[in-house]
Parts: sequence; C-alpha cells; structure tokens
Amino acid sequence: MIRRSPRSAAAWQRCLSSPRVMAGAAIILILIIVAIAAPWLSPHDPQDQDLLSVLLPPFWMADADPRYPLGTDTLGRCILSRLVYGTRIALYVAGLAASGAMIIGTVLAILAGYFGGKIDWLISRAVDIWMAFPPVVLALILLVGLGAGVNKVILAIVLIDWTRFCRVIRSEVLVTMTLDYIPAARLLGFSHQQIMLKEILPAVTPLIITMLSIEMGIAVIVEAIMSFVGMSVESNVPAWGVMIADARTTMHQAPWSVVFPIGAIFMTVLAFNLLGDGLRRALDGRLVQRNG
Amino acid sequence: MAFLALQLLIKRAFLAVPILLCVSALVFLILRLLPADPIAMSLPPGATQADYDMMRIAFGLDRSLPEQYLIWLAKLLHGDFGGSIFFRRPVMELISKALPATLELVSFGFMLGVLIGISGGLGMFITRGRWGEQVLDSSTTIMMAIPEFLWAILLILFLGVLLPVFPFIGRLAPDLTLPASITGFLLVDSALSLRLDLLISVLAHMMLPALALAIGIAPLLMRVLRSSLLETIHEDYVTQARLRGISENRIVIRHAFPNAALPTLSLIGVQGGFMFGGTVLVEMIFAYPGLGNLMIDAVRNHDLPVIQAVALIYCVLVLGINAVVDVIYLAVNPRLRLKGRPA
Repeated sequence: MIRRSPRSAAAWQRCLSSPRVMAGAAIILILIIVAIAAPWLSPHDPQDQDLLSVLLPPFWMADADPRYPLGTDTLGRCILSRLVYGTRIALYVAGLAASGAMIIGTVLAILAGYFGGKIDWLISRAVDIWMAFPPVVLALILLVGLGAGVNKVILAIVLIDWTRFCRVIRSEVLVTMTLDYIPAARLLGFSHQQIMLKEILPAVTPLIITMLSIEMGIAVIVEAIMSFVGMSVESNVPAWGVMIADARTTMHQAPWSVVFPIGAIFMTVLAFNLLGDGLRRALDGRLVQRNG
Repeated sequence: MAFLALQLLIKRAFLAVPILLCVSALVFLILRLLPADPIAMSLPPGATQADYDMMRIAFGLDRSLPEQYLIWLAKLLHGDFGGSIFFRRPVMELISKALPATLELVSFGFMLGVLIGISGGLGMFITRGRWGEQVLDSSTTIMMAIPEFLWAILLILFLGVLLPVFPFIGRLAPDLTLPASITGFLLVDSALSLRLDLLISVLAHMMLPALALAIGIAPLLMRVLRSSLLETIHEDYVTQARLRGISENRIVIRHAFPNAALPTLSLIGVQGGFMFGGTVLVEMIFAYPGLGNLMIDAVRNHDLPVIQAVALIYCVLVLGINAVVDVIYLAVNPRLRLKGRPA
C-alpha cells in the first residue's frame, strides 16, 4: 500500500534536496557500478601474481609501471584490480548483513513494543545480555564457534547487530503506541497483525531506513576487521581487510599500498554515514518541525 | 548522596549477576559449536591416541556439556579460570598480566578522547557560523568514517614509519628493563620506582594506540557537546549573563558548559564501553600485550579456556563502566538526586 500522501511526497522532496543524501547516494551508486563492472574495470585478474614486479609504486611515483596504475603488492598482484574486486565483498556483506540485522531487529522490536509485558521483558533482557559484550568480542567468539568464512561473518553481524535496531526501534514503537490512531485502528476491528504491519511499521520506517544505511557502514567495517584478522574470506580473496593485513607487513618498503584499501573503506563508510545522516535529518518529523 | 550512590552500585551489582550468568552460558555454548578440535591442534606431531585421551581428560573435555559448564563455573567462582591449552599456563596468570596493560591503555585513551572531544566541541561552538566550525565539523565526519583499527594503521604509517616520532611496538623499549612489578600498571610502577626514562618510554609507547582509541570516541562527543551548547544559548541564564556584561568566553565556560555537559557525560559512558571493544584490534596492531592481543592469540589457536575467560572479563568491564557512569550521572545531576530514584 504505497500511497503517495502529501507528507511522503514532501519527505521525498527533502531527501532529494539534501546534499548529504545526494552525495552519499552518488558514491554508493558508483561503488555498485564498480562492483558489477569489476571484470571490465580492473586491468588484471586480482589473483594474478607477477613475481618480477613486486611492490611497484603507484603511478605518480618515479619508477612506476603504467601497467599497474596503483602499483603491486608483495606477490606482484595489481592493487587497483584487487581494490575493484574488493568492492564486491564489501557491498555483498553490507547488503546482506545489514538487511538481516534490520529484519530480525525490527520484527522483535515491534513485537516487544506492541505486546509489551512478558514478551517485551524477554526481548529487552536478551538485548541487555547482548549489549554486555563489546561487539568485536562477540563477533570473534561467534566466528570461533561457527568457523571462518565470509558468509559466517554475515551471520555473525546479523546475530550481533539486530540489537542496535531492536533497542532504538522498540522505543519508537512505544512512542507510536501512545498516538490516537492505534486505538482507533483497534476500534475499527484491525487484527494485531494488521495494526503492526499497516499502522506501526510505516510509522517507524523512516527510522529503519536511516539505521539500515548506518548499519551497512558498520557491516563494511566489521567485514574488514574480520578479514584483517583472517576470520572472513580466504587469504587469497581480494577483500579490503586482507589487502590491509598484507600491506601492513611491507609498510616500511611500500607505505602507499596500505593507504588505498583504507581509502576505499573510508569512502564506503563515509557514503553510508552521509546517506544515513542526511536521511535522518530529512525524514525525522521532529527535526523537520524544529528546522521549519 | 554517598548513600544513594552506594545503593545504586549494589543494585547494579545484583542486576549484573544474572546477566553475567547468561553471558557465560552463551559464550560457553557458542564455543562448543567449534568444528575444530583444539586438543588435536595443540599436540605435537608425534602424539599418540593415549596422549590425546589424557589431554582430553586433563582439560575435562570428556564430560557432558552441562557438566563441563558447571565445573567451569564452579572453578570460576573460586577465581580459577582453568589452564590455557595453547600457552600451557594458568589462564589467571595470563589475564593478571594483560588486564593492567589494557586498563592503563584504555584510561589513557579515554582521557585523550574526552580531552579532544570536549575541546573540539567547545571549539565548534565558539567558532559557530565561521569557517572554524566547518573545518571541525568535517573533521568529525572523517574521524567517524574510519574505524579505530584503521586509525591505528594510519597513525603507525604517518607518525611511526614516514615520520618516526613515536614507537609502535609493545609497551616498552626493548633495551629497558622492567622494575620488579609492583602493580602491573607500568605507568604507576615506573613512577613509583622513580625511573623517568621508563616513564617516558611507556608514555611514548602508549601514545599512538591511545590516540587511535581516542579518535574512536572524540567525534561523537564533539557533536553532542556542540549541539547541547547550542541549545543553552537561548536559555534565560545565558541572556542574563550577557546583560551583566560577562565576556562570551566566560559565559561558555562557566554558564553554558556545565549545563550542556549532561548529555555529553552519559555519552562518554557509553563510549567508554565501546572503547574496550576497540582495544582488541588496536592492541593486536601495536603488539601491545593486553587483553585484546590475548583474545586474538586465543581465537587464532582455538584456546577455549582463554577465550571464555577474556570474553567474560570484557563483559565485566563493560557492565562496570556502565555502573560507574550511572553513579557519576547521579552525582552531577541534582534532579535525579532530588527524586531519590536513580534511573
């Protein structure tokens, strides 16, 4: 039931005129294109080793090789190609992990906020227990238990970060529950499911979208951390975290090669943060009112 | 006041017990999903089946899961974390060495972070509407988009490798010898034994990892402080102070800041908890012998007793920080005290 009410049209308008939203969305769009077009954009196979030209510098340095625009790593692999292919892993994890965490967190938050009582108590205590862990520690424990691998990393992020959504959205649901249209819907004979899906969910959707964007940035960071410590992809797969771990060992001879994957993570996280921040400002009713 | 604080702490301690029990059971269960066999991994190549069985019995891995958990829990209550499979030493010994290192690093990083956060927030407020605010605002955006562990690497690159200002491996220069450990906190130990060279070396080694941790918490503090300061300038007491002819700087420091500090303070607490998470990677990158490094070593070698113990210690630290923040909050927020009902 997507009905273009004047309010949602105004919200769209605010999003489209927000420089943060547009900048974030533009960078993400570029990243998606890079990920899809990786085979055509990268000059080499990301796995190809050229042991005769290891640790080549990027193009602006004196003894650079034009075949390798951003230079090569210790095994003579093309840094640009690996960077380009790394986009795929980052976006894959960001998309799946953040959506998974969003779905679990939102469902539990709406159940907790709507039914209250014992269900709320149970879900809130679970969140308390989860939040007692520093997320990185919980992620490491989960990956020891589940075994390493990029899909395990996604599962771990979902299992950890649903609490971020759950906690924030639950309090938003509680606010929504005090509004007049919920009892009105009850009087009209709506079922629990109808109220939750048709009344509450739309009310908290702006918040969900904002959090989803921020969570994607977090997922990119967690994946980078886990591939950095060797718990995510296989060590030959071009993920940004793996590249950083490799480049760290040669920082004295080739300081630039660590900068590129860090820059890639920075741009990606920045884009998701800008988008999330911009959406929050554009969609948050209270903020909009305050700013006129 | 002291009574209220004590009451709150006791209440928090009671609440922490069931959480810690659940946490310990959770950690224990997750780790038993482990597909690999840590005993087989830790045995030398020529080991026989009999050696293997002996090790399994020695580490209690031949018993049922609930039994293993209860035995572990019972020992835990006596301060016995069991033995490390990989390091072949009591876990307690490993932790008692690593914990002071981490606490020292976190405290230093925390102070740096709060310092940067508060001065940055004040700076943003004072320069509001001018280019200074723009610069500081963009710097928070940049700081937030790079996680601590990448700051750690960037700091090593710029202030360790390209411009060798600070050392970035370990806690102490290798040619310096430690005094007999008094507290395990190197800063305290070196100060107590009046060794200035040690003190300087320890501080220099802590500088970059602490800075990496500090950058992790500073930007959010800056932003929240700035926006709460902005809210205060329309308050009557600020207008009053202006009318009395008090200088703008004095108004900010003496009138606006104390009133704007509350939201920042509660944020500082939350961030303090996050900082412990940040230590895991940062310590590993700086080869800093603390809990985080121990955790990574244990994870890589499937050293279950160490992982369990360190995870639990982290949870205790996070819960402890939360409780302390509540007490401080109570101390500085008179409204909570008047109600007599701590939140």
